[in-house]
Amino acid sequence: MAVGYQDYYEALGVPRDASNEDIRRAYRRLAREYHPDVNKDPGAEDRFKEISEAYEVLRDPDKRERYDRLGSNWRSGQDVSGTPGFEEYFRQGRGAPGGFEDVRVEFDGDGDFSDLFEGLFGGRGGRRSARRAANHEAVLELDLEAAARGGRRRVTLGDGREFEVDIPPGVRDGQAISVPGGNLLLRVQLRPHRRFRFRGDDLETDVEVAPWEAALGAEVRVPTLDGGARVKVPAGSSCGRRLRLRGAGLGGSDLYAVVKIVVPKKLSKKERELFRQLADTSTFDPRRS
Amino acid sequence: MPTLALVRMNGRLDTLAREAGMHPDLVARFIRLGLVDPAEPGAGAQLAQAARLRRDLGIGYSGAVLACQLLARIDELETRLRRYER
Repeated sequence: MAVGYQDYYEALGVPRDASNEDIRRAYRRLAREYHPDVNKDPGAEDRFKEISEAYEVLRDPDKRERYDRLGSNWRSGQDVSGTPGFEEYFRQGRGAPGGFEDVRVEFDGDGDFSDLFEGLFGGRGGRRSARRAANHEAVLELDLEAAARGGRRRVTLGDGREFEVDIPPGVRDGQAISVPGGNLLLRVQLRPHRRFRFRGDDLETDVEVAPWEAALGAEVRVPTLDGGARVKVPAGSSCGRRLRLRGAGLGGSDLYAVVKIVVPKKLSKKERELFRQLADTSTFDPRRS
Repeated sequence: MPTLALVRMNGRLDTLAREAGMHPDLVARFIRLGLVDPAEPGAGAQLAQAARLRRDLGIGYSGAVLACQLLARIDELETRLRRYER
């Protein structure tokens, strides 16, 4: 995440008193516009990350409340990844619209989630519930960290039934988990993560380095699913160099730290002088290899 | 014989699933919806794209397939357009 303070409401272009529905609509509209698969502009990906991060927080009533109260420090004092959040609570049929974005229940068959969304949030109502009431499939949304850790979780259905579910560590997007005793299959859906992205089976994260660190080499901290690790950036690393952290991905896959060289926006006098000196001395021409 | 074909298909599904970082069931679902021909090169990338679109845009499976196909079509048209403009 960028170090600077990001106003999540501004990122989504909604007022501070926006309803969940407004927030969802704004996110969907912006996501359609800036999704890197749709928009090839170089800046689109960063914008999309910004939008996703904002939505991730504002759609969750707990996180939103904290954010409203604490601003950019909303994360402090709380290990968000380990807190059982709304994702464990399922609700079937038409629930109260407030805050149940995370909750998606899908009935067997090739149904689309969006249909159910409409069922939940108005629009066409529970048409689908008449179809094959048994053999439910529900979507369990998980953070990447929770998926990596796995473990036992309590799942509450809308009708009040509760189940203990064992989530296998390293569970994948789309993987099914059967609920013992319940006629229910949980389909894992991994939330987009603000720091990690998938590349095939492996994970990638950006590691920001200063130009001199990239040139001279450095040891830097890289976020991992279980906290962080120190990684040696070899001298002479250009942007895009992929440093492998073996086994640090999801379920034993690898994590790659991708070098991203960041230049200070403003140089001090001394820095400018040193860069000037370097520019005058160096014979390096990146455009001629 | 049909059993053999099924096994072969499943092997391909698993490979594709690994390539796309997806669950084989999800791959099978997209294939049933006609997103890709599993034998085609580049099928893994298309599957991954469909999965991303579905996850990030809140669209359904068939919507994601349509979006993918339209995006591919736009790519193709833009390539052709560039050729004409040169």
